[in-house]
Amino acid sequence: MEWQSLLAGYGTHPRVWDEMFGNDGIRPAYRNIVSAIEDLSAGEMSHKDELAKKLFMSQGITFTVYSSGEGIEKIFPFDIIPRILEAAEWKHIEEGIKQRLKALNIFLKDIYHQQFIIKDGIVPAKLIYSCPNFVRQMVNVNVPFDIYTHIAGIDLIRDHDGTYYVLEDNLRTPSGVSYMLENRSITYRIFPDLLPRSKVRSVKDYPDLLLKNLVGLASHRKSNPTVVLLTPGIYNSAYFEHSTLARLMGIELVEGSDLLVDNHKVYMKTTTGLKQVDVIYRRVDDDFIDPLVFRGDSMLGVPGIYGACRTGQVTIVNAMGNGVADDKAVYSFVPAMIRYYLNEEPILKNVPTYQLEFPENRKIVFESMDKMVIKKTNESGGYGMLIGSAATEKQMEEFKVAVEEDPRSYIAQPIISLSSAPCYINGVLQPRRVDLRPFALYGPEGIDIVPGGLTRVALKEGSLVVNSSQGGGSKDTWVLE
Amino acid sequence: MLSRVADSVFWMARYMERTNGMLRILRTNYISSQDEVKDFNWHTLLHNYSDAGAEEMDAIGNHSVKVLEHPLLDKQNGASVINNITRARENGRAVQDHITKEVWQCLNDYYHLIRDKHIYNQVKSGDPVTALDALIQQGMLYHGTVDITMARGEGFNYLNAGKFLERAILSADMLNIKLTELGYNLQQPLELPALRYLLYSLSGYELYLKTHRGNLQADFVIQQIVYNEHFPHSVSYCLKQLFRYFERLEAESLPENYKQLEFLIGRAMNNVKYSIINTADGDGLKRFLEQTRRELFGIAAAFNQYYFGNS
Repeated sequence: MEWQSLLAGYGTHPRVWDEMFGNDGIRPAYRNIVSAIEDLSAGEMSHKDELAKKLFMSQGITFTVYSSGEGIEKIFPFDIIPRILEAAEWKHIEEGIKQRLKALNIFLKDIYHQQFIIKDGIVPAKLIYSCPNFVRQMVNVNVPFDIYTHIAGIDLIRDHDGTYYVLEDNLRTPSGVSYMLENRSITYRIFPDLLPRSKVRSVKDYPDLLLKNLVGLASHRKSNPTVVLLTPGIYNSAYFEHSTLARLMGIELVEGSDLLVDNHKVYMKTTTGLKQVDVIYRRVDDDFIDPLVFRGDSMLGVPGIYGACRTGQVTIVNAMGNGVADDKAVYSFVPAMIRYYLNEEPILKNVPTYQLEFPENRKIVFESMDKMVIKKTNESGGYGMLIGSAATEKQMEEFKVAVEEDPRSYIAQPIISLSSAPCYINGVLQPRRVDLRPFALYGPEGIDIVPGGLTRVALKEGSLVVNSSQGGGSKDTWVLE
Repeated sequence: MLSRVADSVFWMARYMERTNGMLRILRTNYISSQDEVKDFNWHTLLHNYSDAGAEEMDAIGNHSVKVLEHPLLDKQNGASVINNITRARENGRAVQDHITKEVWQCLNDYYHLIRDKHIYNQVKSGDPVTALDALIQQGMLYHGTVDITMARGEGFNYLNAGKFLERAILSADMLNIKLTELGYNLQQPLELPALRYLLYSLSGYELYLKTHRGNLQADFVIQQIVYNEHFPHSVSYCLKQLFRYFERLEAESLPENYKQLEFLIGRAMNNVKYSIINTADGDGLKRFLEQTRRELFGIAAAFNQYYFGNS
């Protein structure tokens, strides 16, 4: 079976934007990859698919799932056909994310200091103070260079007409960047010469840019600051990412028990005694980072680290308290924030969002539940979510009850169909729904976005859920020059 | 270097060395169980490399394939090779930023290899030697990868300190296992097959033949395993190498901690160097091996206390 026949069987859905096929056939961005593989037999394609799996496994790019006391190594499913973005598309995305991130960062500074945005009636005070991720301890705490959102992952989706929408902002500890790097390194193994021939922009600068920013954050205090990456440990599902980033940046990968705080200074325990730490890129959530201030039962954090941060002796990256800005209910105010803080029109659109704490919104949503996605405001990973078109009557009723009990914790959005991209599954080329998470780095010298990102794909046919915990996989993401 | 990292690197090396030693002794014992030794019994070996009870050991003690499966692939056996490799990998995983990517991938491959169903099938119903050879080869690949990719820094020194300490313990243990099987009675006929297999297990048979021209005698064998400074598995050689890599850590040590370890390693070296082995005195030999073992474990405990912060 040859590619042509594979292609012939590729059926796009009406009212779904397909990344590869337009009304006029194959889109220009995809012509190179199609011509590169059109002569390959199904056997050769399957061989490439197998090779990719083997490479992930042998390089230990795995996460461990524990069941019945035994650890099973799993790979994050990878689809070998890349998702490709034209230079102009990327420029639009890049500008949109930079604009959004600037506004969100000012919002965080404002909300933890003067709160002009509340006083001017743009964002209701109730919304902020009822947000479980608003960290009161961060009020009036200054952070270096007023940067809160050092690393952000902005999830983008495309509607049926190809318009990009921001689905959510991840401003706490967004993960997935190691897959962006590893997917690329697998692609050039399975498709030799194709990347340079297609003029794909490189993503390998990410660790260097990140390190430059991390070092820069303490430059006002020290000429050669010590930077570490704080991980919850080897059992965390993103541990591979933590160790990869630490290695690529050449910084220490520490666990909570490696650090201690003395006189508001953070030290790591080394074989030659204690060594002061100046910047911590933490991959431990706010709740667990300091048992003296947040969850008292946390074994993953460092007692006293909040105090060290407050007194400016250490910089925590991302800043604590960012959850208030990526809360799903606050999300609907981001376009207003952009207008308020930057006096600009938003470049990237928001998905229309109904706050369910308002009775009139609940009425609208409940009347057309089958066309809505209802989400809990403080959950992620595809949990706490109801997709109306796929839900049973019983599930809808249960969600209604839950919403009525705690309306502040829910929002609803009309179902956006998500664009589809070709995936090689079981020897057949099939369309599957995708999203895109570019990673933005905010440092003292500005915002950098590596050209690419993580394309997540819903591998189940018809599914709109791309999260890895819910059967999602990933693709390499190419941005063309 | 973080104390935890030093601890993990040290233990990663110990588990890998232990794996190598166990695989070799299992291979040799399996071959000897199939070859010429009559009434071959695995009890002494199981006693060292299993946490099974006496009853369980009796049940499998004379069944070579079963006995091989237990110290090799049994996840319930805390001392099995599969658990050692898993622990080495877990330690490696925790210090991925301090070992090279090649070393990590090699460890990871080792982990996947021993879990491969082909290895299991070979042990269970095929040719166990093929499985053991594949595993030993992966171990050699690991050692080579460490040697040619790791920077000669603190991590490398801890790796080697762990490796040579574990190897010294293994050599002392293997000698003790064989001598226990012989009841510490070495006044037996000259050609003891058990001693030849012991040398095989320690990769020392060829050296022995070259040194002693085929004249296999208990005291020469023991001399080689304890004192020969050209034999990479002798207790003396291992201690000397341990000291060599430990000395390199001086610049990265707190002086008081360094002194403690320096004293313990120096004492162990001298106690071995200035000992006299008399094969006629089985009890004396046993006491010597027990004392050496105690001192080696004392060194491990001191590393733990003074360098890894686990008091």
